[in-house]
Formats: sequence, C-alpha cells, structure tokens
Amino acid sequence: MLKRTRLGRHWWGLVFVLPVVLFFAVFSVFPVLFGFAISLTDYNLLDEPFYVGFDNYRNLLDDRLFLTAFKNTLVFVFGATLPVWILSLAVAVLFDQAFRGREFLKTLFFLPVLPPVVVVAVIWRLLLHPNGVMTWFAGGHQGITEIPWLANTTLAPLAMIVVHDWAVIPFFMVIWLAGLAGVPRELREAARLDGASSWQMFWHIDLPQLRATAVLVAALSSINAFQTFTLQYAMAPDPGGPANSTLVLGLLVLKYGFQYFRMGDAAAVSVVMFAMILVVTAIQLGFNRRVR
Amino acid sequence: MFADFDKPPFRPLLFMAALLLAVVWAFPIYFMVTSAFKAEPEIMALPIHWWPQDFQWLGRFREAADFAPLWWYFFNSSLFAVTHVVITVFFGALAGFGFAKYDFPGRTLLFYFVICTLMIPFQILVVPLFIEIRLFGWENTYAGLVIPGLMHAFGVFMMRQYAADLPDELLEAGRIDGASEFYLFLRIVLPLLTPALTSLAIIIFIWSWGAFLWPLVVVQDRELNVLSVGLTNYSQPYQQVPMWGAAMAASTIATIPIACLFAFFQRYFIKGLTAAAIKG
Repeated sequence: MLKRTRLGRHWWGLVFVLPVVLFFAVFSVFPVLFGFAISLTDYNLLDEPFYVGFDNYRNLLDDRLFLTAFKNTLVFVFGATLPVWILSLAVAVLFDQAFRGREFLKTLFFLPVLPPVVVVAVIWRLLLHPNGVMTWFAGGHQGITEIPWLANTTLAPLAMIVVHDWAVIPFFMVIWLAGLAGVPRELREAARLDGASSWQMFWHIDLPQLRATAVLVAALSSINAFQTFTLQYAMAPDPGGPANSTLVLGLLVLKYGFQYFRMGDAAAVSVVMFAMILVVTAIQLGFNRRVR
Repeated sequence: MFADFDKPPFRPLLFMAALLLAVVWAFPIYFMVTSAFKAEPEIMALPIHWWPQDFQWLGRFREAADFAPLWWYFFNSSLFAVTHVVITVFFGALAGFGFAKYDFPGRTLLFYFVICTLMIPFQILVVPLFIEIRLFGWENTYAGLVIPGLMHAFGVFMMRQYAADLPDELLEAGRIDGASEFYLFLRIVLPLLTPALTSLAIIIFIWSWGAFLWPLVVVQDRELNVLSVGLTNYSQPYQQVPMWGAAMAASTIATIPIACLFAFFQRYFIKGLTAAAIKG
C-alpha cells in the first residue's frame, strides 16, 4: 500500500511539467518544423501553398538582396563582436579594482542596458542627425556642421556597430565581473606575496580562470549579433537603408515575409540563419568541453 | 595599462578613466531624459543645452499622447509583460519542481525537449508562428499578441536548478502531514524559491517589455500596439517632420519601468541578467 502511493506520486511530476511541454510543442517545436515545410513552398498567405522543393534555397544563392544581407550580417557580427569582447573585459577589469566612487560610476556606465533596443535606436537616430549632437562633438570645433552619419553607405553600417557595442558592452561587463568574482582570492594573495605585478597577476591568474567566461561572452555576443535587426529597422533612415547597406538577415526575413508576402523565401532565410547560429553554438560547446 | 593599479597613488588615474567611460556611456541616456523636458527647438540647438532653458513639465509628453495613443501603448506593454512574467514564473517554477523532484518516465527526454527550445532564435519562429496564429484566427488580437510568448524555457531551466537544491526532508515532512503534492508546491516550494523567482520575474519583464519583432508583425491596429513598436511612429521616415521632443518623452516613458526595477531590485536584477547569460 505504502509502496504504491510512493510510486504514484511521481506521476505528479508529469502533471506539473505537462503545461510547459504542451506549450512548447505548440508554440516552439511545431513552428520550427512548420517553418521548414513552408520554406519548401511558394506561399503568399492568400493562395494555397505550392510545393517547390529546395528551389527557394537554390534561388537564394543568386538573390542579390540575400547575398547583400548575408555579407552585411557577417560584417556586423565580426565588426561588433570583437570590440565587445575586448572592451567589455577591459572595462570589467577596471571596475574590478578598488577606488573611490567605483560603485556610482559603474552604475552610470551600466545605464545603457536599461532602455529597450528600440529606444536606443530612437535616441541615436536623434544624436546622429546630420546636423546633430554627434556632428557637433566630432567636427564643431573645425566648423563642420553636417556629417551624414546614417545616410552614407560606409558610415551607416559602422554607426550600427558602434551603437550596438555601446548598448551591449555594459551588459557583458557584468558577465566578466561575475567571472572575475569567481577567481579564488587565495590565488591572488599567493601571487602577490611572490611579488607578481598586477599585469602578471591578470595574465597568469585571472585570465586562465576566466576561460569559461571568455567562451561564453564570445558565443553570446556573436549569437546576439547574428539576430540583430532592431537597430537596422528603427535607427536607419529607412529599414535596412541607405541603399540596403544595413540590410541584415533578420531584417530580410521581415521584408520577404511581411512586406513582399513571400513566406517561402522568408522561411528559407530564417532556416539559413538558424543553421548559422547552430554552428556558432556547436563551436561554443566544443570550446567548453576543452576548457573543462 | 594594468600596471600596479591598486596601489593608492594610482587611484586618481583609475577614477579618471572610470569617470570618462561613465560619462560617455551615460550621456545619451541623459540627453534623452533632459530632451523630454525641452522646448522643441532646444533639442536640436547647438552648442547643446545641457539643461532645458525653457523647462517644460509635460508639454512633450502631452504632444506624444496627442499624436499617437501613447497610454494605450503603455497599457498594452504592461499587459504583455506582466502576463508573461506571471505565467512564466508560475508554470516555470511548477515544471522546474516537477523535473527536479519527481522521477516519472520520460523525465530526461521531456527536459531536453524543453531545453532545446532555448536554442531557437525568434527569427526562425516569426514566419511559421504568424501563419499558425492566423489559422487560429488570432491575428491582430490580444490573444495573438500575448499567447505565443507566455512561457520561456529559461524559466524552467533556472527553476529546476533552484528546486533541485531544496532539501527532500522538507517535502517528506509535508507529505507525512498529509499535504497533497500541489499543496507542497504552493506552500513550501514557491515561498522557498522566492529570491530566484524575483530574479526570473525581472529578466522576463525586461525581455517582454523590450520585445519588438513579434508585436510588430502580429498586430496592425494602433490601439493594440505595444510601446516599443509605437515609439517608432515619432521618428519614422514617413512622418515628414520627426517629433523629437515627443520621441524623447515616449522613450523616457519606455525606459522608466526597467529603470525602476533596477533602482529597487538591483541585486536581483544583476543576478537575473547573469543567470540568463549562463543558461547555454
């Protein structure tokens, strides 16, 4: 009797997890499979979907918009991720030192994490107005009154990277700080007694202990950057502009799906994005195994 | 660069470096908030007005609300975010508890099933999910807006870790007293998980409050839009003259809830962010 009730109560676990499992089946896993199915069709929301096999993927290979978006995304990912990785570490090391006013300044530095990305886009759209504040900071003393930050096909993608990095560096600083807090104090004390300089301690004690954090920051920031599109949507003069110079894959999904109503193409682009993100995740897992 | 920083004589240098960084990073936020209280021509004035010369208490906010249904946006964002927080926290804790403390057949498999969804970026979901929601007849409704994001797998993942650390004796003691399993969850597990639940609630609120892609595609009525989408109305190209004052006022409103969470729950806030980062 006792034994039966004990086995019986474990079924409660299933009851407890069931709502969540069903939810994800309907709103996560099914849509992924459904999305793959859609990518094999031509579908415009009005007519019946028409099966075309892998044609949509084949067409992407010589689709100029897709190739542009692909290139822009890669440039953005590499351009944005590397500075984030280095600068957020440098800032974390700085704010890990003991000095007066540290907590207050750290809080100020952290502020850009608070506004939603759309707000970041709107603020910077104003700051980067051709005759705006940033022009004044950059060239006001030389009498320059107009810089087309967001209207120039070279400057605009660069501006996306700078603003993105401005917004995410404080976040990654917090991750590095959590990693630094995990470095055993005894190690540092022992090294100090042995007469190690701060630079030596950082290089030989902190960094090796931070390897897991380093992989995490690299993976997270590149996956984040892959999915970027809000800045390119709301900060650029027109979504993806000027002249598609800030068109990224995330934006292309939106454009094909909800502007041109080419659902098959949109789904194919998103499947490609997913595959790229899975590759990054796989690399991260590989690194993690080696680190541990 | 990292030369003996922590010896006292070098601290002014550290302070100056930190001060410079803090000022550069905080400036755009400062500019947003002060511009929300400036008269419209002052916003573009150069050299910039560091403080509004013609201080306007509510002018820009009223302008923003006159041009677009700003308070509807705010209400919709709140409804969207609060529903997601409540449902994710409750069902996330319930499922986390289920996965951690019960040994039912298929447990590992189902857990991986849930965790796998963490790896799915939203962009791959947006097209099929939109078509699915259309089939349900939920396009352009609150249901379509809110339901697909009701739960986040991160909640289950985080809660399972915390629930696993709860002592079994506590649950056994409850069972001996004749408590039902669900009663144990409500009366013992939930209260003990409160600190972790607070962090989870904050992180889910931040994610939901900032959500942009899904609200952008699923609703068309202005009165159904959330703040993050509605915001773009003030600065978007088809608006001939951008209303920068209104844009800054609305942006400030969109930032206040998260700033409040940060101000009042700083420890949980940072904990939530770090936990969310380490999930993978």
